[in-house]
Amino acid sequence: MKERIGVYICHCGGNISDYVDVERVRQAVENDRGVVLAKTTVFACSDSNQNDMVDDIKKHNLDGVIVASCSPKLHLATFRSVTERGDLNKYTYVHTNIREQASWAHSDDKIGATEKAILLVKAAIAKSRYAEPLYPNQFEAEKTIAVIGAGISGMKAAVSLSDKNTSVILIEKENKVGGHTATWGPLAMSDEKGSDLSHRIYSDLLQRDNVTVLTGSEVISSKGSIGNFTLKVRKRAQQAGDPVETMEFNVGSVVVATGFDPYLPKAGEFGFSSYENVITLPDFKHLIDSFSGKYLEYRGKRINRIAYIYCVGSRQVDGENRYCSRYCCTSVIHAAIQAKKKFKEIYNFHFNRGIRTYGKQELLYAESLQQGDIYLQSFEDAPPQVYAENGKTKVKIKDVLTKEKELEIEADLVVLVTGMVPRADNSIGTMFKLPKGRDKFFNEVHMKLRPVETVIDGITIAGTCQGPKNIVESVNSALSAAAKSYSYISKGMLETEPIVAEVNTDLCAWCGKCAEACPFDAIGQKDVNGKQVAVINNSVCKGCGMCAPVCPPDAINLINYSSEEIMSMIEQLAGG
Amino acid sequence: MNEEREVLNYDALVVGGGIAGGEAALNLANTGYKVLLVEKDRSLGGKMILLSKVFPTLDCSACITTPKVSEIARHKNITIFTESEVTAIVKKSENNFTAQITKKPRYVRVEDCTACQLCEKACPVSVRDEYQFGLIGRKAAFIPFSIANPKAAAIDIENCTLCGACEKVCPTHCIDFTMETKYYELHAKTVVLATGFNLFDPLLIPRYGYGQYKNVITSMQMEREIAPTRPFNTILRPGDGKVPDRIAYVLCTGSRDATVGNPICSQICCMYSIKQAQLLMGALPMADVTIYYINIRSFGKGFEEFYQQAKGMGVNFVKGKIGKIAEKENGDLILRYEDINEGVVREAEHDMVVLSVGVKSNPTVGKIFGRGELKLDPFNFVAQEDLLGSPSKTSIDGVFVAGTASAPMDIPDSILSAGSASSEAISYLIQHQEL
Ligand SMILES: Cc1cc2nc3c(=O)[nH]c(=O)nc-3n(C[C@H](O)[C@H](O)[C@H](O)COP(=O)(O)OP(=O)(O)OC[C@H]3O[C@@H](n4cnc5c(N)ncnc54)[C@H](O)[C@@H]3O)c2cc1C
Ligand SMILES: Cc1cc2nc3c(=O)[nH]c(=O)nc-3n(C[C@H](O)[C@H](O)[C@H](O)COP(=O)(O)OP(=O)(O)OC[C@H]3O[C@@H](n4cnc5c(N)ncnc54)[C@H](O)[C@@H]3O)c2cc1C
Ligand code: SF4
Ligand code: SF4
Ligand code: SF4
Repeated sequence: MKERIGVYICHCGGNISDYVDVERVRQAVENDRGVVLAKTTVFACSDSNQNDMVDDIKKHNLDGVIVASCSPKLHLATFRSVTERGDLNKYTYVHTNIREQASWAHSDDKIGATEKAILLVKAAIAKSRYAEPLYPNQFEAEKTIAVIGAGISGMKAAVSLSDKNTSVILIEKENKVGGHTATWGPLAMSDEKGSDLSHRIYSDLLQRDNVTVLTGSEVISSKGSIGNFTLKVRKRAQQAGDPVETMEFNVGSVVVATGFDPYLPKAGEFGFSSYENVITLPDFKHLIDSFSGKYLEYRGKRINRIAYIYCVGSRQVDGENRYCSRYCCTSVIHAAIQAKKKFKEIYNFHFNRGIRTYGKQELLYAESLQQGDIYLQSFEDAPPQVYAENGKTKVKIKDVLTKEKELEIEADLVVLVTGMVPRADNSIGTMFKLPKGRDKFFNEVHMKLRPVETVIDGITIAGTCQGPKNIVESVNSALSAAAKSYSYISKGMLETEPIVAEVNTDLCAWCGKCAEACPFDAIGQKDVNGKQVAVINNSVCKGCGMCAPVCPPDAINLINYSSEEIMSMIEQLAGG
Repeated sequence: MNEEREVLNYDALVVGGGIAGGEAALNLANTGYKVLLVEKDRSLGGKMILLSKVFPTLDCSACITTPKVSEIARHKNITIFTESEVTAIVKKSENNFTAQITKKPRYVRVEDCTACQLCEKACPVSVRDEYQFGLIGRKAAFIPFSIANPKAAAIDIENCTLCGACEKVCPTHCIDFTMETKYYELHAKTVVLATGFNLFDPLLIPRYGYGQYKNVITSMQMEREIAPTRPFNTILRPGDGKVPDRIAYVLCTGSRDATVGNPICSQICCMYSIKQAQLLMGALPMADVTIYYINIRSFGKGFEEFYQQAKGMGVNFVKGKIGKIAEKENGDLILRYEDINEGVVREAEHDMVVLSVGVKSNPTVGKIFGRGELKLDPFNFVAQEDLLGSPSKTSIDGVFVAGTASAPMDIPDSILSAGSASSEAISYLIQHQEL
């Protein structure tokens, strides 16, 4: 039982104290049983307050610490480490969130927000009294890392890991490496050909004896968790008659780099598949790269006037894809410049929704204006229309510059500037249970604090599988992910959270309900003295607690959230 | 130069202690390398530590920066030199760099200072507070800002009159006017450049009236007005302390503008202006906020949604280029602009104008190396020699670039770029390990 608890109530520089009367909270809890110290602080997470806390723990001989502040996602780890620096077991620290749960949720009701904050802190104090010291689970990590997807992101992650003297298994579904990049000609912003770029990185990879590249291969199952994943990989027959090979690899971490799909317009969307001269941006890039005549031709017809329709499949007002695909303004302008340079009598018309050539990419936009390209911008709720009249394809727009007057342009070729969408094949996401964001791409834990990690420990995400990116951005993300995956295994030993479920084998009668409820597949079945009981895999269990309430004989307990702790908290929340 | 130089040995030198340099230093240190982090200012954290909240998640910037900074400050593998400059770096051979470092005196022993602020109260000298971007003043003996790291007093010797008042009141006797500049010679195996960006100086566009009209401020000043560690308790216009209710934003101030020598887009100002507009709508529910723009560039993850949200909240977006700003007698401002949607020139009255100043390079970084050794791009950002293949490689093998030292970028991109630079630096260290 903890009897010397210190409580810190954070202003969060106004984020909390603008709505919650933090001084009232302090007064309301300072005389609670076990509390020997209750303080308010402007920024609990600041270095100076952290130092004060360490001093307080020692000076007042505290045995429990509580901070009432922001979400534990942000700072649970921060304050656990402060507690540790005060020579206390870090799991005796209890966090309570009065920002998201009190001040932000009830910014219209200051009194109510304050009362709720008081109850939350009292509940935390009740829990703190029962908090026990715990010790992380330690185990040895496999020294090999798997990278899934051999586009530019996956290949660069593999090079970077190999450079760190780490063995890499690079697994690519297609028979060729390089992903989309390998199919492009000259690229923004350096004019290097995508095929050359892909080739030079692949050649580098081939010279390394700690890299195994498996093409035509897919991961069909994954077992285990951070430090020790077992991946089953199936390699397709390369030629008819060859056997299908199935292999198993033990790896410490996995970098997911499965990339994106180009948006495929629906039939009839801006004339797509209705008129044969309406094509997508990937098709257009391939066309201008492969065609070698003086004049550009498509399906035997000479092309002079090209209309580009921007944001197809992105920034949708009605559709699902609300996001901007970020690469496409720059890519299409680059392609339009290339076309004009390579072929005679090309006239480019850009039907855009506000050009987004951010950063130095603006120079391409300036160059395109310089070469005489015409830009027409539509209103957000009135996209341009593609239609046919007298055998000609035309594009009609209400341009923001000319306001109400409609403009009409005849085009020999209409290029739909298609955005990036998540891969339709989500087998990897399903297998590893990777969460997705609003845009349906894989989601990071925190955009600024942990941008390449996922909530599944040991799995990092690289490149466009996390969201639209150009190549520079993809490579930066890939190298960050490689460094993060490397950091998991580089020390040999790994630690995981001790807050997991535990089974009372005397009570358990193996009905399997817990295993069904577990979202992480952490529960199996084993024989104990001739009786079937549930068994928890400690390195997979996330301590989410889904299993405990479904167990009919109440045989599952969540460490750090015992029934005693939870009941005492509920009692406080219900008003003591 | 014949001063005594103390010799230091580290695995990695990181130049610049903003979010990019901090992230790079942490990654290296967590992998087990000894890092010297050199920051020229009095605190770590760069521009980010002074921001209010950050787009597109509206996390409080201090809440993300301060714990990172304190992790850096406490890390056993990281040594921090603030108020220090790297004056020269020479590459002797692969894996072997020598750097000259000058550490200026703070005149306060940081270990002993409790940040009690008594010196601040005693000091009779008031000067412009650069950490509040001139919105208020500060003393010559002062704590840079409340969440600075290290959080300790410093003496601004340029403005100090040596009256000794601070020394007398300091309860821990940590003020020491005998401190001198120290010189070091550092041997390191790799270098990460994270020297960040400079803000565009709006005095270069006189027709906007910055410096002349008091109610024309920069976005960085507005950032301070809405930050949790803000100088005033509310948002007010500097001219007369009135709470503004018609606020205008002028996007692309000093960006996308060849006439001021900066044709590129700064990539962050659309988004931070939208962010500030949202925060202002929250703080001043009755205020009108108008954003004058050429294009809105909300391109990143969650950005377009953030822009649409601002529109939904009632922020007024006007596609128009500002010609000129004029001041009325009561301090209100008249904006003359070309309304692109309407195709006419119009005038609008606002009581406060925020200039969304752009990102300029910090060209000092080029001078650290021998003539022409470190290549810069035409805008004086550090050139990325293998742009698509290895974006953090510079023209010198073993020297990597992180964050806005190579191009304008927001915080998420700066952090990924720092991840990339530190990943390359770790690879370089491993590949050149002496056996
Ligand atoms: C039309 C167009 C033009 C572009 N132009 C430019 C430009 O000029 N400049 C620029 O910088 N960027 C450009 N880009 C962006 C660039 O293509 C991307 O940034 C880059 O391709 C992203 O690489 P990636 O490795 O993340 O994804 P991808 O290229 O999609 O690679 C992913 C790889 O993973 C593999 N994979 C997928 N699922 C599995 C699985 N389950 N198991 C195993 N392997 C799997 C795929 O087969 C593929 O090889 C352009 C994009 C498009 C669409
Ligand atoms: C008004 C405003 C609002 C913003 N809002 C947001 C936002 O909401 N969200 C977002 O994502 N981004 C935002 N940004 C962008 C963000 O500030 C930058 O992305 C980020 O600060 C870049 O970090 P950095 O480390 O690269 O550079 P900096 O922050 O500039 O850090 C560089 C550091 O290096 C030091 N230094 C420089 N030269 C030397 C030298 N020679 N020797 C030693 N040290 C040196 C500097 O003192 C500084 O501490 C905003 C920017 C502004 C101007
Ligand atoms: S980058 Fe340009 S074309 Fe692509 S979705 Fe964004 S605004 Fe539209
Ligand atoms: S000695 Fe300098 S810093 Fe100290 S109080 Fe006097 S003027 Fe201020
Ligand atoms: S980000 Fe927006 S405001 Fe900044 S320069 Fe680019 S277009 Fe202009």
